[in-house]
Amino acid sequence: MPDIPDWMNILLRSITLVFTLFLLTKLLGKKHISQLSIFDYINGFVLGGIGAILTVHQDVNFWYGLMAMLVWFIIPFTIDYIALKSKTVRDFVQGKSTVIIQDGKIMEDNLKKELFSTDDLLVHLREKDIFHVADVEFALLEPTGKFSVLPKTDSRPLTAKDLNLKLAPKKEPQTVIMDGKMLLEPLANLNLNPAWLETELAKLNVTIENVFLGQADSDGQLTVDLYDDMLSIPSPTEKPLLLATLKKVQADLELYALETENQHSKQLYQVNAAKIEQAIELVDPYLK
Amino acid sequence: MTVGANVKSSYFSIKSAEASLEQLAIKSNNKETKKALYDAQNLLSQVKEDLKKQIQFLAREEPQYK
Repeated sequence: MPDIPDWMNILLRSITLVFTLFLLTKLLGKKHISQLSIFDYINGFVLGGIGAILTVHQDVNFWYGLMAMLVWFIIPFTIDYIALKSKTVRDFVQGKSTVIIQDGKIMEDNLKKELFSTDDLLVHLREKDIFHVADVEFALLEPTGKFSVLPKTDSRPLTAKDLNLKLAPKKEPQTVIMDGKMLLEPLANLNLNPAWLETELAKLNVTIENVFLGQADSDGQLTVDLYDDMLSIPSPTEKPLLLATLKKVQADLELYALETENQHSKQLYQVNAAKIEQAIELVDPYLK
Repeated sequence: MTVGANVKSSYFSIKSAEASLEQLAIKSNNKETKKALYDAQNLLSQVKEDLKKQIQFLAREEPQYK
């Protein structure tokens, strides 16, 4: 391109390459840097390197460079695609995880094979908040170099299942107000409408312009954060209040049953107190 | 408060709780939650009916406080 001035040439090359690189890396997928294999890394560097050289070295033929970039893009892309379909290829390309601790015992041979020192092992365990190797039941070294640890049952965090607690299923909350503006799509996801939001905001006595962030959960409870942090907003009381009312009425009915001498009335109070108790049991997980 | 007045106040508490439950059930998006809330509401409406009859019975028993 002899008739274009040098600065123009570089400008054109840069602009084209910025978009090409952006497009290629976008197509190569969403993997986080920490999930990349060494080959992915090198591949990225080479793509960037060719791009950089091509931008400023005018004696390099632009189209040759672009061709090289395409090769470095197409081959990894194809391999990734094949790996998606075939487990064998995947194991070869992405590698398999290595068992480091099994049944609470450290596999020294595997450690050596992965060039892992005892200190490395301890560091990785500490990163998982485990300071005592004896607390580990099973540990894996993932192909990406990450460490996955399954602690022994008695060292695991307590879950609701362990306590036999019945918890209400909670769906993900939706952000319905952002920067003082109503978001219609998340509202629709919860089967709610703008009128509902206006009512809830009126209940809290705030205007929508003053709301920095507002989220609604699947039970239709709205929580907001205001721009003005000096204003205090009431936390949702509807559910705890309802539960308290139920408990009070139940206790009252039991009291009436004790007080009355009329057998028929006594029985009626007792039966109904039992019914309310049953109702409390039913809704208790959902009102918490 | 007389017994009649006490039972009446309980009756209205139940009535309010029943309505709250129904409101929550309508707002909820989850089938399980909905079912539990409606079941509870059903129980409360039975209690409400019983208490209503009891209030009438008590009104006959202690007409001076009606």
